Amino acid sequence: VSNRPAPPSVVERFLGALLRSQERRDAILGDLHEEYCGRVDAGRWRAAAWYVVHAAGIAARILTSELAGVARRDDRPRLPANTGASMISTLGLELRHAFRAILKRPALSLTLAITLALGLGANASIFAMIDALVLRPFTMPDQDRIVFLSHTRDGEIDRKETVSPADFLDLRAQADTLEHIAAIEWWDANLVGRDEPEAVTGFKVSSDFFPALGVQPGQGRMFMRDEETLGRHTRVVLGHALWKRRFAADPAVVGSTVQIDGMPHEVIGVAPEGFDFPMGAQVWAPLAFTKEIAERRRSRYLTVVGRLAPGRTLEEAKSQLTVIGERLEAQHPDTNRGYKVRVYTLAQGMLDVGLGPILSLWQASAIFVLLIVCANVASLLLARGAERQREIAVRLAIGASRARIVRELLMESAIVALAAIPAALALVWVALALLKSSLPAKMSRFVAGWNEMNIDLRLFAFIAGLALLTALVFGIVPALQAVRPKLSESLKEGGRSVAGTARFRLRRGLVIGEMALSLPLLVACGLSILSVNQFLNGPQGFNPDNLITVQTTLSEGTYGSTESRWQFAERVIAGLKQSPGVLRAAATNNLPASGSNNSRFIEVEGQPVPTGEDPFGASYRAVSPGYFAAMEIPILSGRGISEADRENSLDVAVVSKSLVDRHWPGQDALGRRIRMINGEWLTIVGVSGDVIHDWFAGRNRPTFYRPMAQAPVLSMAFVTRTKTDPGAVAPTIRDVVRTVDPKQPVFELLTMREVLRDRTTGLRFVAAIMIVFGGIALLLAILGVYGVMAHMVTQRTHEIGVRMALGATQRDVVRLSILHAARLTAVGAALGVVLAVGLSRLIEAGLLGVISSDFRVVSGFAVVLIGAGLAAGYIPARRASSINPIVALRAE
Amino acid sequence: MYLGEFEQVVLVAVLRLEGEAYAIPIREEIERVTGRNVARGALYTALERLESKRYLASHMSAPLPERGGRSRRYFSVTPAGLAAVKASRTSLLRLWQGLEGRLEP
Repeated sequence: VSNRPAPPSVVERFLGALLRSQERRDAILGDLHEEYCGRVDAGRWRAAAWYVVHAAGIAARILTSELAGVARRDDRPRLPANTGASMISTLGLELRHAFRAILKRPALSLTLAITLALGLGANASIFAMIDALVLRPFTMPDQDRIVFLSHTRDGEIDRKETVSPADFLDLRAQADTLEHIAAIEWWDANLVGRDEPEAVTGFKVSSDFFPALGVQPGQGRMFMRDEETLGRHTRVVLGHALWKRRFAADPAVVGSTVQIDGMPHEVIGVAPEGFDFPMGAQVWAPLAFTKEIAERRRSRYLTVVGRLAPGRTLEEAKSQLTVIGERLEAQHPDTNRGYKVRVYTLAQGMLDVGLGPILSLWQASAIFVLLIVCANVASLLLARGAERQREIAVRLAIGASRARIVRELLMESAIVALAAIPAALALVWVALALLKSSLPAKMSRFVAGWNEMNIDLRLFAFIAGLALLTALVFGIVPALQAVRPKLSESLKEGGRSVAGTARFRLRRGLVIGEMALSLPLLVACGLSILSVNQFLNGPQGFNPDNLITVQTTLSEGTYGSTESRWQFAERVIAGLKQSPGVLRAAATNNLPASGSNNSRFIEVEGQPVPTGEDPFGASYRAVSPGYFAAMEIPILSGRGISEADRENSLDVAVVSKSLVDRHWPGQDALGRRIRMINGEWLTIVGVSGDVIHDWFAGRNRPTFYRPMAQAPVLSMAFVTRTKTDPGAVAPTIRDVVRTVDPKQPVFELLTMREVLRDRTTGLRFVAAIMIVFGGIALLLAILGVYGVMAHMVTQRTHEIGVRMALGATQRDVVRLSILHAARLTAVGAALGVVLAVGLSRLIEAGLLGVISSDFRVVSGFAVVLIGAGLAAGYIPARRASSINPIVALRAE
Repeated sequence: MYLGEFEQVVLVAVLRLEGEAYAIPIREEIERVTGRNVARGALYTALERLESKRYLASHMSAPLPERGGRSRRYFSVTPAGLAAVKASRTSLLRLWQGLEGRLEP
């Protein structure tokens, strides 16, 4: 008895839920049960299948007959609201109503869907960026086991390149919560393979680099610990892309030798396909320290990653490394005071410090756009509510419940919002394609995850969720508003009800909100344009016109002696000077706006560094004679670097005005002496004007210049001042370098204007996106004002007719309407100013502080906004003034 | 009020079953006698419609174990239902009068 067969209980329960009364349930479910038992002997599964089919058949029949019954006549007793059958049937009915209402007003529905698609698309594009760049920028397996270490003082924002060699070696020896710890150092590798020499992005990495990241070799093997010793360190692992491009994916390359930096390197392996960490790297070599470098604690230039030991957590690693950091601080107080070891996830550590504020600025802007979109859509729905007031009143009067009408109106919103999803996806697709194509590859490799930006399931879920949320937000207020009318008022012919006024007040409120929200966006948009302009066309401290630059990095193997490096520079400069169209030529170790900098700790004679404090780090330049003339950097006093400053003459330096202001304010610096730590004393022979080396971080930074003859460098740049178009000289420059050394690759052969443009790529990016956001916001705000004003004119036709009949002129009527629009926009703009000022810190952080928002910018854009609002209000005002009073009065 | 064709069939089947009429035998009776397939859902809606027209009355049996502890709903034809079947039969018979030659095999 206990094992009596029973039909599938899920199906039984489902059907039971559709049947309203106990008696029906008993009769129908009982019958099915009885027949099921009769069939169980023929096979349990067969019987179950039979049960499912017939239960479904009965359910369908009951549902349709009830739907038909409800639709046909309402003479049956009201269905109790809490049973499945009535819920489902009325839901279907409401959906049908909602669809019909949408299709009845195709233009309005389309406008709503497009507006929504804009808002959703903007938000989803930013979400796609944040998802790819911040949340999941890397593609390595088990990323949550990979950690990132920094060694910084409180308040320092850089996380990369913050660990010194000695500290790294101590960390590696002491931290057992980490299985692998690896240091990474930037390496400009000059690869001479089977054809053209080429500068390749390379990194010197500790032997634990690949295991720390959980990467297996694609070919060959990875590094061993003993390859970190000098002499055994000339081995490389090639990137998969480089291997395919330069070596035709030849497996025999493993074990062969390639020339890098003039030295033979044995290729021991090839990285797996797609691996290019960090920053698009294509060559990795073992990081080997000389004994002297291994003891340095003050030069913090290593980036350190590690892998959590099995069973250890990030928290354990954090607390252990904090302790190790404190121990190092106690052991080496003169160098490590205040420095703490901090542990991050890989994504946190590698995140570009500038990216966070920019992305939050964009996300905030996207949310603002969405709010404006919501306000606009709600405003349109309110206007539609006014049109449908009578329809709704009639339905209420004959007994429809308010809840049901609200539900139907919300369903309409939801359907429109869902219809906007495909359009929004299309927008995101276009936006991501544009974004990806607009960032050159040499920039995008610095942004991990850039090429992973894509439409995926997460993005789709994000859009769908946002669409439904938006539908609820923009739909609920107009829907509640719609069921508020006093029936007797609305049903009266031509009745102007209290609810109408309330609805209008709400619309005005929404328009004011739109205005207020668009102003910060406009300000951010304007500021970013000003920043780019300032960057490109503002004072640089030198003359960027008719200037062309080229960079090269000499190989230590070929140019072992310092004389040979200077000879190379001299011969290139001489060759350039003789080329047609060239006025002047010079060399430096570091170009302005190149994105990198060289600095040295300096000591000023007579101003000893207090113990325990770091000496001052000044920007360091090694330049050839004629550099100041070629760049047109003014010499304020004394002289520049001259031909007389040779290797064996007096060690001299030219310093920038900011360095003089820092160390000898108001005094003459000529003849005073500075030196690099443990270096020779340098006599100051001249003071130069300041240069904006980097708009973000290096404006007017204290700098000292040394003769390149006295301090030859491996990595140098040549600047050439031309008579006319600098671009025309580019091939000549390449030829000159090739004549001097055919194996020496050059890169970044660009005019100074192009270099400046390259440096602003990121900023122009910010500007472009802010222009899009600002444009959408302004457009929607104008549409909002226009809609409200047009609505007001329609509503007040009668009143305007009376006024005109009583003698008001057209100008009076226009003034009346314009004044109304002016009040709206003024209140909106005033609130907007408050918002813009409140958000200015976010805006400034997003624009990297290149330009700060001052009151003039904010008020300027407020005026623009008010002007646009008034213009939008003028068209309905004109229409109002052309109302014929007789027609208007007859319309009653 | 006219009876639908299927309603007539159902009413007559209930009459034929004499006190043993609940949905399963009703359906079997119709299929056996008329040879046509009857959808269960259609039968239930017809039965309910007839009851709401007061041509059928129903009572619930005691719970039965073979039905998972549920009752049967037994139907019986009300006097009004009987009158409706009679009227319908009479009018059909009148319509058929004189056509025997053509209608019978």
